[in-house]
Amino acid sequence: MKQFALSQFNEIYLIVIGFFLFFSVFIGAIFWVYRKGSKKHYDYLSQLPLREENRT
Amino acid sequence: MSSSNDTNSGLIQVKYNDQIVRMFTLATIFWATIAFLVGIIIALQMAVPQLNLTGWLTFGRLRPLHTNAALFAFAGNAIFAGIYHSTQRLLKTRLFSDGLSKLHFWGWQFIIVLAVITLPLGISQGKEYAELEWPIDISIVLIWVVFAINFFGTLLRRNERHLYVAIWFYIATIVTVALLYIVNAICIPVGLFQSYIVYAGIQDALIQWWYGHNAVAFFLTTPFLGLMYYYLPKASNRPVYSYRLSVVHFWSLIFMYIWAGPHHLLNTALPGWLQILATVFSVMLWAPSWGGAVNGILTLRGAWHLLRTDPIIKFFVAAITFYAMATFEGPLLSIKAVNSLGHYTDWIVGHVHLGTLGWNGFLTFGMLYFIVPKLWNTELYSKKMANIHLWIGILGILFYYVSMLAAGITQGLMWRAVDANGQLVYPDFVETVIRIIPLFLFRALGGVLFLAGYVLLLYNVYKTIKQAPKELVEETVQVRISSSTPIHPERGHRKLEGMAAAFTILALIAILVGSIIEIAPTLSINKYVKTENKVEPFTPLELAGRDIYVKEGCYTCHSQMIRTIQSDVLRYGAASTIEESMYDRPFQWGSKRTGPDLARLGKKYPDLWHYMHMEDPRAVIKESIMPAYPWLITSKIDFDSLQKKVSLFNKLGVPYSDEDLSDANNRAKEQAKKIADVLKSQGVKEDVSDKKITALIAYLQALGQKGGE
Repeated sequence: MKQFALSQFNEIYLIVIGFFLFFSVFIGAIFWVYRKGSKKHYDYLSQLPLREENRT
Repeated sequence: MSSSNDTNSGLIQVKYNDQIVRMFTLATIFWATIAFLVGIIIALQMAVPQLNLTGWLTFGRLRPLHTNAALFAFAGNAIFAGIYHSTQRLLKTRLFSDGLSKLHFWGWQFIIVLAVITLPLGISQGKEYAELEWPIDISIVLIWVVFAINFFGTLLRRNERHLYVAIWFYIATIVTVALLYIVNAICIPVGLFQSYIVYAGIQDALIQWWYGHNAVAFFLTTPFLGLMYYYLPKASNRPVYSYRLSVVHFWSLIFMYIWAGPHHLLNTALPGWLQILATVFSVMLWAPSWGGAVNGILTLRGAWHLLRTDPIIKFFVAAITFYAMATFEGPLLSIKAVNSLGHYTDWIVGHVHLGTLGWNGFLTFGMLYFIVPKLWNTELYSKKMANIHLWIGILGILFYYVSMLAAGITQGLMWRAVDANGQLVYPDFVETVIRIIPLFLFRALGGVLFLAGYVLLLYNVYKTIKQAPKELVEETVQVRISSSTPIHPERGHRKLEGMAAAFTILALIAILVGSIIEIAPTLSINKYVKTENKVEPFTPLELAGRDIYVKEGCYTCHSQMIRTIQSDVLRYGAASTIEESMYDRPFQWGSKRTGPDLARLGKKYPDLWHYMHMEDPRAVIKESIMPAYPWLITSKIDFDSLQKKVSLFNKLGVPYSDEDLSDANNRAKEQAKKIADVLKSQGVKEDVSDKKITALIAYLQALGQKGGE
């Protein structure tokens, strides 16, 4: 099975498929962070370090 | 989002554990001094070999001390201080357990002390950045687990539902470092102070650099990026430039980094497909690395004036700039053609220090200038001094980097220079060394400047702490518990960002994909080994010699890997094969050629030459910068342990003959006697038949003589 997998390494279509798999995950992630309504959420998150609690 | 409305219910008081942060901060400052000092000593040793004063102060033993101190003691303590300080504040809760925190601190310092003692004594596994012997390995893993429990326990009792991006980087660090360290250190002990790694030859090489490069990725990059994402917004009082970018670059970074390790083995006997994968992923790493760097720098948008006035911001911006430079150069060096020039030279040393001194060093200094006054409830003693520190430090790094870059390219070009007849222009290796010795001195000057700047930090911190109030009260804040009243409805990824467990598993999957695809196929080494290339194992005496080679850290200056490039083949002989090192535990392919490659050293010189060379290298090669090893002539071979070692190797699949197996001890003594007799006939006065030098000579003469070409 492993030998078989390795022998496929010269298979150009597999390489292209692999590339598109990675690439689409990457593009997907970009679309994901720009999903509707995410701005408010990310603004909240990015303020987390700056929120100072009241000292007692 | 302030919680100032005290009339609301759900307010609780949280007292942060700042004592532990103070302890880790002071430990960082202390160990940094040691790491930098040892660095300067070994830098000078390369220009002035007489500075290798005694056995335990030779370059081969101090270099592992320098790297381990910089990595685990300086960077390690800095990470712990920063993580414990920022996590409590980001999650609005006290650390999980005071007891575990203390155990973490003292356990880690104890480990460092053990390293400081054992490494100069030559107690070493012979794997770069992982030299520490097995009892220390186990302690490191245990203390890391304590750290993990303390961290994840804090996560569980947090009062802020959402996890800020810095926390993600911390989680990825904790999970991945544990995996890397354990897998790379799996070994079989043959005593309290010695062990053999289970992997051999190419497997060991692959796993070592999977570990080694990801030590850079997950010990020197992800935790420091996490610290950057907390302290830079904090110090500049503005949110990170793009939170979205931080999400994308986090996942890209951890997913890609794990594949890049084999770029340390380009042009070697490593199978081609692994080399291609490593190059492709290393080049792709450009994007997420710069994603992080750009995100950091642009956080200062609209506040560039801070770059003129605030030394802390200056340190951070300089650190990120150095990070961008180092991560630009890294992919470049991972291209095979560039790598063939730069690999094994000082260029790589320069590259590493651009990252460690510039990125890790300066980010830590910025963090220290920021948190020390806060932790001791006072103001920084002198901003001006911090500014001077910055500029001396930058000057030091530039001296260091430029001299090493010049040295590396000069030497790399000299190694490959051929004349019209196809002959090497500089066939004597030492010629290429003499040329760069002035640059070694320049590098040492760079190190001295860097340390000089650091001394200002020491004084500044000392004065700051001295002016602090005697009674330090732990910071107590009022926190409104947000879990009962969510700020907005939870959906999809927002949920994921809040769920530490699911997130941790996803991150683990991301790093496991690359690891398994790269490592699993080579675990069955027989697929790559050509059976017609028969290889003889080292004799018991040669094995004893090999142990000395490992113990003395010869691999810190000598490679045993003739690359598949023309200049290597011209200089050292046919390219090394996988078979030749198939029984080597640990592999000794090396990463630096301060001296020549030794893969085919055997039978090149007579025994007497080696004897004189080890006693005093300059008696044989006038300009040599190798340390002298006179104690090898007086200290005795450990014959008694050979039986055990040979049968262990046999169990691991090394084909020893029945005679070797049943009588390793005496077989070794016979071989030693033969060598000693020859040496005696050539004029050596002492009887060295039971001395370490004889075993080492036996090993050196066996290099490249065991078949497998």
